[in-house]
Amino acid sequence: MARLDIESLSKRYGDFHAVREVSLQVADGEFLVLLGPSGCGKTTTLRMVAGFIEPTAGRVKLGGREVTLLPPWKRNAGMVFQSYALFPHLTVAQNVAFGLEMRKVPRAEIGKRVEEALALVRLGGLGGRLPRQLSGGQQQRVALARALAIRPDVLLLDEPLSNLDAKLRQEVRVEIRELQQKLGLTAVMVTHDQEEALTMADRLVVMSDGAVRQVGTQRDLYERPANRFVADFVGRSTFFEGEVEAPGRFRTDGGLALACVGGTPGRGALALRPERVGIAAAPQSGLDNSLPGTVEFISYLGALIDIHVRLSPADRLIVHVANRDGAFVPEVGQPVHVGWPAAAAQVFNE
Amino acid sequence: MSTASERPRGRLLTASALIGPATIFVAASLLAPLAILFRYSLNGFEKTTKTMTEAVTAANYVQFFTDPYYTAALATTVEIALLSTATCLVLGFPLAYVVARTQSRFKHLLIIGIVLPLFVGNAVRAAGWMVVFGNKGFVNTGLEWLGLIAKPLEIMFTEKAVIIGIVAVNLPFMVLSLQSVIESIDRAVEEAAFSLGAPPLTMFRRVLWPLALPGILSGTILTFILAMNAYATPYLLGGPLFKMMAPLVYNQFTQQSNWPFGGAIAFILMAVTLSLTVVANLLIQRRAVR
Repeated sequence: MARLDIESLSKRYGDFHAVREVSLQVADGEFLVLLGPSGCGKTTTLRMVAGFIEPTAGRVKLGGREVTLLPPWKRNAGMVFQSYALFPHLTVAQNVAFGLEMRKVPRAEIGKRVEEALALVRLGGLGGRLPRQLSGGQQQRVALARALAIRPDVLLLDEPLSNLDAKLRQEVRVEIRELQQKLGLTAVMVTHDQEEALTMADRLVVMSDGAVRQVGTQRDLYERPANRFVADFVGRSTFFEGEVEAPGRFRTDGGLALACVGGTPGRGALALRPERVGIAAAPQSGLDNSLPGTVEFISYLGALIDIHVRLSPADRLIVHVANRDGAFVPEVGQPVHVGWPAAAAQVFNE
Repeated sequence: MSTASERPRGRLLTASALIGPATIFVAASLLAPLAILFRYSLNGFEKTTKTMTEAVTAANYVQFFTDPYYTAALATTVEIALLSTATCLVLGFPLAYVVARTQSRFKHLLIIGIVLPLFVGNAVRAAGWMVVFGNKGFVNTGLEWLGLIAKPLEIMFTEKAVIIGIVAVNLPFMVLSLQSVIESIDRAVEEAAFSLGAPPLTMFRRVLWPLALPGILSGTILTFILAMNAYATPYLLGGPLFKMMAPLVYNQFTQQSNWPFGGAIAFILMAVTLSLTVVANLLIQRRAVR
């Protein structure tokens, strides 16, 4: 395993900037996840690291060695594809052996390493099967074993779980993460599924429109989003559109005066996480913001109850209440009071 | 309950109504004439009166295989068919790959471009080649004008001309067979091979070729059969002294009026084509399984 350095990597197709000046450092043994909506450039970035796409500008270094212009077969990057891309005409063992044969590993050792790799993904004994005789989850693990067998400098995962059903996906992501930690793998994964990203990553990179919007840990992204895009994309937020009247004072377009922390006077938005808002039948004391409202919509999500409260004709707030004994759960149409401390909200200037 | 047992019979009736006409047409238009022709090929022939005589004899077949003139024609036919099929495969694969993998919005134009030659009949096209290849043709005058050759190249009425002509006719069939199969191969499989350390040629040999094998088989079979039975191209581009099987059959039927011998040649051509195809098929499939 090795560290991966991406320096000002860009890809242009004519006038379209698929990736703009992306710079990232992935430490040896680190799991980095590129997260973003489709078309944000995350897959293009990964494919430039793999060598399938030639960058317009910038550099890729793998273990200190510049590989920017090397073809993929000279890079030693293990790739797991969204479609798994197993060789359908080869058995599971032959699939895993493929990369070792390319590296001219002696026959006897190939057999040993194939078995090791298959045991690692708990597929020992299935080496003789053809890929089409395996379930989706098993195929996925073969793809992983095949990429790991070559002892790659970096493991690249392109939406590896998107073809699995929801239940299996939860299991496999824990499995991949444990394997990555156990083997000390340097890994880069691309996904649009934020829950997946949050479970697996050491650090996350949020991208949109080809550019990096924020790099950080789960906590950084969730609690200190660098911009409105990240606040919106990671987790849920209510956004109040309006104006910062003075640092600490925000007035919504619906006319609500809200206390906040900081902000420069001018147009902006106030973002508020739904679980940071308290909801009660009576006004709440000791909070910087306490407002009356009417419940408009409730959905029961199991662990959470999602409540939408109308505060003014232009402002609606989402509140999450943990589904516990004694939790206050109002009904649609019921007048309620919501409140939150000023520090719970974040202001983004336009 | 009664409908449950009746439904399959109803479906069977619908199915036979749908496939019946085609089956009957094939049987009537292909199998019956073949049977009659085979019976004729066992008849005798009176040369002086040019009439068929009733008999059951293998004389026509014996005559074919004992006369070097005819066995040479068979050898030439097989040789030309093999060479032109191999050429089609070598030229067709890259073309099919590009068409299959292109993301261009002009893909359908590419496909039309490949099929376009089929809009021109074989005879018309061969006549065109004659203009191009002749001693005073486009190729020779062009090369002479450029000073690359002193005297005209012998292209017309050679094996080369026939192979070029047949390849031009058969290439679209090869390309279309290959293209549809290559399109069904996940592009990521090629990338997986690259990322595992396979350079392009190794990737081709270990991944693309074996996965494209069904298309390679159908493409080569199709072009081989077409080449074995080529008529207009060898006749027009090969000249009167160039002997392939299909013109020979035609000659026996029309010029000599010798239906029994013509029938025998036709059956020999068919048998050789079929057995070579089957043998090649078995060989390739056995290698693929290994």
